Amino acid sequence: MSSFLKIALRNLFKSPTTDPYPFGETFVPKGLRGKAKYNAGACIACRMCEHVCAGGAIQIREVADKSGLEFILWHNTCTFCGLCEYYCPTKAIRLTEDYHTAHRQEDKYRYVEKGFIKYVNCAGCGTPMVPISPELLQRAYENVNKEIEILRHLCPKCRQKRALR
Amino acid sequence: MKKILQKIAKKSPWLYRINAGSCNGCDVELATTACIPRYDVERLGCKYCGSPKHADIVLITGPLTARVKEKVLRLYEEIPEPKVTVAIGVCPISGGVFRDSYAITGPIDNFIPVDVNVPGCPPRPQAIIDGIIEAIKIWETRL
Repeated sequence: MSSFLKIALRNLFKSPTTDPYPFGETFVPKGLRGKAKYNAGACIACRMCEHVCAGGAIQIREVADKSGLEFILWHNTCTFCGLCEYYCPTKAIRLTEDYHTAHRQEDKYRYVEKGFIKYVNCAGCGTPMVPISPELLQRAYENVNKEIEILRHLCPKCRQKRALR
Repeated sequence: MKKILQKIAKKSPWLYRINAGSCNGCDVELATTACIPRYDVERLGCKYCGSPKHADIVLITGPLTARVKEKVLRLYEEIPEPKVTVAIGVCPISGGVFRDSYAITGPIDNFIPVDVNVPGCPPRPQAIIDGIIEAIKIWETRL
């Protein structure tokens, strides 16, 4: 009984432990896995994220006029597992610390993360291809020299031809 | 008299929780928002009630499994109008990782009109509070 009174008395002089969230500032634990953010510039369309996505939230598909690839992530089926970030070779997809996900029903199907990868033409033969991002070159080579810069703008076939020459 | 009641009722919506086959993850977060002083949802005037007949805001978790579907729909019918429905977690909204399974009949908005979605697996307590605030706003317009 006396120990209970001690705690009760001590708590009388303490500030409230309630997080003042809807009315004030809140905290975010470091490394919290929140909504995913996509960077189309770094993406190489390897579709690894689509393959590993547990909730089937990610879709990469060609747009109707065949000018590029469209990336769609539907937050309403994403489980924030972070597999996409883990397996992405260029870290084009990242989980942010933003967890504010509440929205109305009418926005249900509009609650998506979108990106667009525009095809570039091969410098050799002109066939459209997915651009090779600088992030991938950084990962593949220690230092990017002129030769590699030239190869970057070629499609796989032209690259092979050039290498064999 | 009715006007006064409407004015008062706005400030104290009662929450009711339906578990439609959830894995308990979202339920734990709901308990956290309600019971732990840190995320105290009762500051907003909300209170969990034990009977569906007293409820104003319904919180649904889980993907609506085939086994529990009839019971959930019967329970939902018992809640008096006007009511606001909040889907907590990705399961009731889209089926989540259980989508296309033979064991579930959801997404829940095929059977029940949902007003607010709070995705997350599970959502953070602050996100649930966000959803409840949104639901209170809708509830005020329906009174």
